[in-house]
Amino acid sequence: MPNRYRMALTFRIPVVWLIGLTSLAGATTDPALWVPARWDGGPLEVARRGKIDARFRDTINHWYEPSTLQLLDSTPINCILVTLGTGASAETEVAQRRQLKDYVPAAKKRGIAVLGVVYPGSGVASVIEAAKELQLEGLVLDGEFAPDFAANLARQFAGIVIPIEQDAASARSSAAPLIAMQGVRPNARDLADMGIRAGASAEPWIDSNIWLVRSLRYGNTRRPVWISQEPNPVSEGDYIRCVGDVAVAGGRWIVSLDDELRVNLLKKDADALGTWRRIAGSLKFGEDHADWRQYTPFGNLGIVIDQTADFDEYLNLAARRQVPYRLIRREELNAGSLASFRAVMAFAAPKDGERKILQNFASNGGVVIAGPSWGNAPKDDGYAEIPTGKGRIVVYKDEPPDAEAAAKDLQDLLEPQLIGLSAFNVPSAITYVSTEGGSVLIQVLNYAGRPAERITLRFNGVFKRARFYTPENAPQDLVTSEAQNGRTEILIPKLAAWGAVLLEQGN
Amino acid sequence: MENTRGNFSRRDWLTLSSLAAGALTARRAQADVVPPPISPVSVAKVVSYDTDLVPQFELMFDQIGGIGNQVRGKTVAMKVNLSGASGSGRHVGLSAGQTSWVHPNIVGALTATFAKLGAKRIRILESTFRKRYGTPLEDTLLNDGWDVKAIKSAAPMVEFEDTNGPGLGREKYSLLKVKSRPYVFDAFCFNHSYEDCDFFVSVAKMKNHEELGITLSMKNLFGITPELLYGLRPKPDGAIVSSVGNFSPWTRERVFHYGQVQPPEGVPQEIDQTSSRYEGWRMPRLLTDLCGARPIDLAVLDGIEAIIGGEGTGMPGTKHGKPGILVVGRNCVSTDAVGMATMGYNPRAGRHEAPFRLYKNPKDHPAEQLIPLGEYHQFADNTVMMGEAAGLGSADLTKIDLRGTPIKDVMWDYEAHWKGQSPV
Repeated sequence: MPNRYRMALTFRIPVVWLIGLTSLAGATTDPALWVPARWDGGPLEVARRGKIDARFRDTINHWYEPSTLQLLDSTPINCILVTLGTGASAETEVAQRRQLKDYVPAAKKRGIAVLGVVYPGSGVASVIEAAKELQLEGLVLDGEFAPDFAANLARQFAGIVIPIEQDAASARSSAAPLIAMQGVRPNARDLADMGIRAGASAEPWIDSNIWLVRSLRYGNTRRPVWISQEPNPVSEGDYIRCVGDVAVAGGRWIVSLDDELRVNLLKKDADALGTWRRIAGSLKFGEDHADWRQYTPFGNLGIVIDQTADFDEYLNLAARRQVPYRLIRREELNAGSLASFRAVMAFAAPKDGERKILQNFASNGGVVIAGPSWGNAPKDDGYAEIPTGKGRIVVYKDEPPDAEAAAKDLQDLLEPQLIGLSAFNVPSAITYVSTEGGSVLIQVLNYAGRPAERITLRFNGVFKRARFYTPENAPQDLVTSEAQNGRTEILIPKLAAWGAVLLEQGN
Repeated sequence: MENTRGNFSRRDWLTLSSLAAGALTARRAQADVVPPPISPVSVAKVVSYDTDLVPQFELMFDQIGGIGNQVRGKTVAMKVNLSGASGSGRHVGLSAGQTSWVHPNIVGALTATFAKLGAKRIRILESTFRKRYGTPLEDTLLNDGWDVKAIKSAAPMVEFEDTNGPGLGREKYSLLKVKSRPYVFDAFCFNHSYEDCDFFVSVAKMKNHEELGITLSMKNLFGITPELLYGLRPKPDGAIVSSVGNFSPWTRERVFHYGQVQPPEGVPQEIDQTSSRYEGWRMPRLLTDLCGARPIDLAVLDGIEAIIGGEGTGMPGTKHGKPGILVVGRNCVSTDAVGMATMGYNPRAGRHEAPFRLYKNPKDHPAEQLIPLGEYHQFADNTVMMGEAAGLGSADLTKIDLRGTPIKDVMWDYEAHWKGQSPV
């Protein structure tokens, strides 16, 4: 997606968003409160999919019958994404609009905002006409479009236009009030199953969106982030993971049901309804703890990012190694912005001013982790450590440093107290730490299909109380014990998929 | 012997003829060579780690003649098999104890059993992976969810020690000489705990090994070599170590597997630095040397659940299996021989047979470690046969006194399961 197009969106979307708020009638008006679900269906959806299993065709074709709205009762979902534009024949589009004509108002009456999903191949004029006719709150662009497509829509449509971004760096630089981003299906796989030979201590490979959401909500921006990914095929556990994987760092997964489940839901199959209830339960868990979204991400390690290089893999893999970090915009790198950090990873070639800032940071006791452009890079070893004043500068050999090695080395380069969190028995899980006042929230997401048992967490500081929250059970108190070096240790006996430990200092 | 000989290729025969010269000569002469020691080996079918393993071990210890006299009032050291020893390597959703590590319930039950037998002190030992900040062994065990506190409370005095260095507060390593016939080294330096113990137990996972065919109690002793001593040698220019070791200077492979460098000055050097550098030749002999330097008083093989097809979860094609086997014996060679038989392997197999005919991925191994000159495939020599030839014990099933469940009733064919040729 060209930058020119993104810049156009950057300036346009806030305006159209504000306009869009005023046009709502009955539906939830604040996009920050929208809990979205893909609700694709109708003849357009059938045509878009091309070959479709006969078992699913009928269900999808008739998805916009009023009864499907009943599924949303007692769930936090208050925003549905309906199929609007696919570039199909005019006849099919007319048939689609006919179905949506009654369905959209019925949804709004229930307080549900309706957005239209537009796919490549759609024409601006027909999309605008349909969106206006149906009085949709917004449009979601899913796929690769011509550079001016979104801008043209935004000019002619009063509602919010939300492109599902493909590139994280661009999304991070966007000033849009709501970011939608293509994510990955969260899961854990064995390296051996991926044809990768690794050592005896090889950890499973985890596909996760936690780092991505974290990176889109850094600094003081607490804007809503949506992650789009369609799990198919899935298990119930996959759905809970999809919800948690995005919610942990404060985002929302655009709920997307697999066709088998949809068919069975319409049949009122007991198992399918049970699964649906539990999906809704995990969404509710996230919304019940909406305040967690406003907690401040924790990290004594800062990772410097800029727009000119791809840092995504460092962010992804450092998170996988259970190293909490915060992001530092390169243009904001200064002594003040580093004051709350104890280590900083800055792999881009430093400019003179940056070098001085980082050098001073190390001299005052910090750890600087740099690329070979810093100088004095080793010839053989992966990195060299250069004592500098009270601290040190770690210089990697390779340009750019290998992300997997750099992430793995963090646990070796940084002492546990500097990292802050030590998490044990989490090879298929990812932790995310945030703070609020004197409280610390450690969320853990298990990516394996089986429950994780006996997870031990240690965190800096003395905490008297640890309360464990999960979507499936009432909160429970965990025993805290004092570990060495002024740290607190707790044990999570069992974790199905998503859990959060709230550490508090009081009794 | 005639039957066994029938399974050997000519090359195997020549190889083992030279290596096991003493044993074979004795066979012919029936005279002046002392036969390798033989002691009973107990085998049990145990389907789950949830089984009460303390009475199980008590029974098996009784079956092998009892160990009470050896452990009462003594210090017992258990070298536990924690391959990779980071605690994080495992298949998705499974603990390391279910795949590549010994299971914590095995270690806990052994601790409790030794305590019941009157052991004064029990030390749990392993050399862990790269612990710059002196992470205690207990933390490594937490990485696989071990209930360390429960194990500590299973006996009056339980200590955990990371044996990667000389020992806490110690500057010198313990020097132990190889008491059996040495092949590659005639002495080693170890952490003090391998010397300061009265009864030494090798607690191994019953599993395959990518480069050596099998991991059993003898192979488990590779982990007693301290990496901080043997693993920090400078890498020769241009040397490829392995896929995982290539970027790390922390590896013992260069000293032991490949013989690229000698141990540091002041540490015993190789007997013959011109000998073969092929790891399939070196390692079985080196393991025998290790067992000769730090003799195993009790071998325990945990095959209740295990990884199949390799020693770690990172090896392509590895699987999780539930063989349901437990093997215990006083003699490491005999115990491993019985262990091999329960795995469906011929304990006297040669380098041309499973599990010793290997495939190591060329991408992950130095070229000279693939097919040696004059061979047609990759191989490892049979460690238990090396042990037998060195006089450590007998690998002959016809001579070993088998107790407990017959082998045929517990046998779980690793090779067939690995290759998908056995019913699930």
